[in-house]
Amino acid sequence: MTFLELTEGPLWYAASAIFVVGVLWRLAGIVRLGGPRDLSVPRASATAGAIKGIFLHMVPHGGFFSRTKFHFFAGYLFHLGLFVLVLFAAPHVLFIEERLLGFGWPALPRWGFILVAEATFAGLILLWLRRLTDPVMRQLSDGDDLAGTVLTFVALLTGCLALQESHDSLRALHMLSVEVLMVYFPFSRLMHAFTFAFSRAYTGASYGRRGVVP
Amino acid sequence: MTFVHSIVRALRLAALLLAISFAAMTTLTGGPGLGAPALAQTGVETPMEEPSPGSGKVPGRSIGNASDAEIWRAVRHGLQGNVSLPDKQAGLLVQSEGEEWRSIRNGPVTKFGGWLLLGMVGVAALYFALRGRIPIKDGRSGIRVPRFTQTQRVVHWFTASLYVLLGLSGLIMLYGKHVLIPLFGPEVFGAIASAAMQGHNLFGPLFAFAIVALFFVFLEHNRFRWADVKWWLSLGGFVGGHPKCGFYNGGEKVWYWMAVALGLTIAVSGLLLDFPFILAAPQKLQIAHLVHNIAGVAIIAGGVGHIYLGTVGMDGALEAMTRGDVDANWAKEHHDLWYQETIAAQQTARQTVAQGAAAEVTT
Ligand code: HEM
Ligand code: HEM
Ligand code: HEM
Repeated sequence: MTFLELTEGPLWYAASAIFVVGVLWRLAGIVRLGGPRDLSVPRASATAGAIKGIFLHMVPHGGFFSRTKFHFFAGYLFHLGLFVLVLFAAPHVLFIEERLLGFGWPALPRWGFILVAEATFAGLILLWLRRLTDPVMRQLSDGDDLAGTVLTFVALLTGCLALQESHDSLRALHMLSVEVLMVYFPFSRLMHAFTFAFSRAYTGASYGRRGVVP
Repeated sequence: MTFVHSIVRALRLAALLLAISFAAMTTLTGGPGLGAPALAQTGVETPMEEPSPGSGKVPGRSIGNASDAEIWRAVRHGLQGNVSLPDKQAGLLVQSEGEEWRSIRNGPVTKFGGWLLLGMVGVAALYFALRGRIPIKDGRSGIRVPRFTQTQRVVHWFTASLYVLLGLSGLIMLYGKHVLIPLFGPEVFGAIASAAMQGHNLFGPLFAFAIVALFFVFLEHNRFRWADVKWWLSLGGFVGGHPKCGFYNGGEKVWYWMAVALGLTIAVSGLLLDFPFILAAPQKLQIAHLVHNIAGVAIIAGGVGHIYLGTVGMDGALEAMTRGDVDANWAKEHHDLWYQETIAAQQTARQTVAQGAAAEVTT
């Protein structure tokens, strides 16, 4: 078995299984925790509050923008970029079509792919630099943040290095780094990709119940 | 142009076109008699005299024994023919400057660049071996003096991280065949070189943004002053003790202007290489490539000194760019004029506050 076959076969299935089971396990754990029982009569809909909580907080509120504009800008640059890359880069659409779903969708043109990759890299580096140079962020950060960022960066980097699409070894390296990221994901703060919705909905619901716009 | 000249020119072009169509035909049809051994290889004695290479005669009797050496010499030196294709450059069989470009890149650029880089690393290593890490002589005072803002630090490290990625991938492209092929063999190097080129192309344009930001963010304090001349005359304190120095010393200012000038040169030439249709002509692209190579090697060489002093070379320097502040004793020893200014400013600020308070008490 070649290195590429290994990363596209057994390792891919193992990583996918750990990723899916791990994420579901963690989410189920959070849901099972539930919330404290609230016997008061609700003033307004908790569900509406939850939905507002998720969507209203996608942009900074009140006087916060001036303080968070760097984070806001770099954050969206990276996250939107990553989302578009993973789902709309031509080699990824091909992979999804051939290996996962059996159907695909229109992919980005090559120049769009490259442009989005540049934005994603810039965003990730800027976000990490903010973490390093801000005294408060520095205190709040630990090894998990470092590991999550490094693994994401390496997955992006190996993807970028494989752009010529003509060397099996580079392709396998990209696969491997993606698989390591997938295995680490459920056990780390990278879970925020899913849990952000839970925490914002929870806060939104408890405010919404009291009739306050979260 | 005389009439005779025009005729000669027309004939030459006709011959060139003939040659091009002949070349096309041979590739399409597999070529005439390629399977058969050449006459020279059959060992048949040719009664004909060996023609001199310049005479236009070639060995062989029935299979055409005339080759216009003049035409081929002209083609070799970049004679441009006419083609009916939209891309007129297709009329050029041999882009002759390409050979010059190749030999400059693989010759002096590679060689002197290599010596320059090794020399810089050698000097830094030698200095470290002889003098060791420059300490803070009076030890740490524990008092911190703010030096760089968060914006400055983010811009600096953004530039530096791209510099490392681009520098490494650039060096792999330039020196890989000398260093990596002997180590890993051509197969592995093929993959590494492909990776380096893709990475270099992707990160390049980001560096262009970074270097412009670096220029603006560090411009303040980097204008040359009289003190810098004195700093250089004392070779940065090598002769006659530590010279007086403001926010930056003469060496740092030279690095700033060198990094900005080389960085912009690299960015412009690099982008021209990334978008070759702007220059469109191979000759211009080759010049851009040489400019990029030379400036690239130069900024790496300069960076060796900068990075050395910023990390292992000097105690107390790195924290200026990571935490944003430095120890008061470091500031006093390396940037005395700046230290006096900041302390003086702090004292006046304190005095103003105190005076204000006193005024309030008396009224
Ligand atoms: C975390 C983000 C990413 C994930 C999860 C991801 C995932 C994948 C997967 C699963 C494949 C299929 C590999 C195969 O067919 O064997 C792939 C291929 C590829 N990816 Fe990514 N990728 C990511 C980021 C990137 C980035 C940032 C780039 C480019 C800048 C990139 C470029 C590529 C290329 C060029 C291929 C095709 C390689 C080849 O066929 O040789 N990827 N990626
Ligand atoms: C990659 C490793 C690098 C390290 C460890 C490093 C370290 C440092 C440190 C410690 C300082 C503060 C010096 C002081 O307090 O006076 C500094 C300043 C500075 N660095 Fe870097 N640096 C690196 C790369 C770069 C690069 C690649 C550039 C530009 C292309 C650059 C441009 C500057 C500039 C403009 C300053 C302000 C001082 C001056 O004007 O010379 N640095 N660096
Ligand atoms: C705006 C940023 C940059 C762009 C757009 C850019 C682009 C390019 C391009 C297109 C090439 C030609 C690759 C090839 O030969 O196939 C190249 C080569 C090279 N670059 Fe850059 N580059 C940039 C920044 C840098 C920097 C910052 C350095 C050094 C620190 C650097 C060092 C080199 C070197 C040494 C080569 C020579 C490769 C060779 O001749 O084989 N580049 N670059």
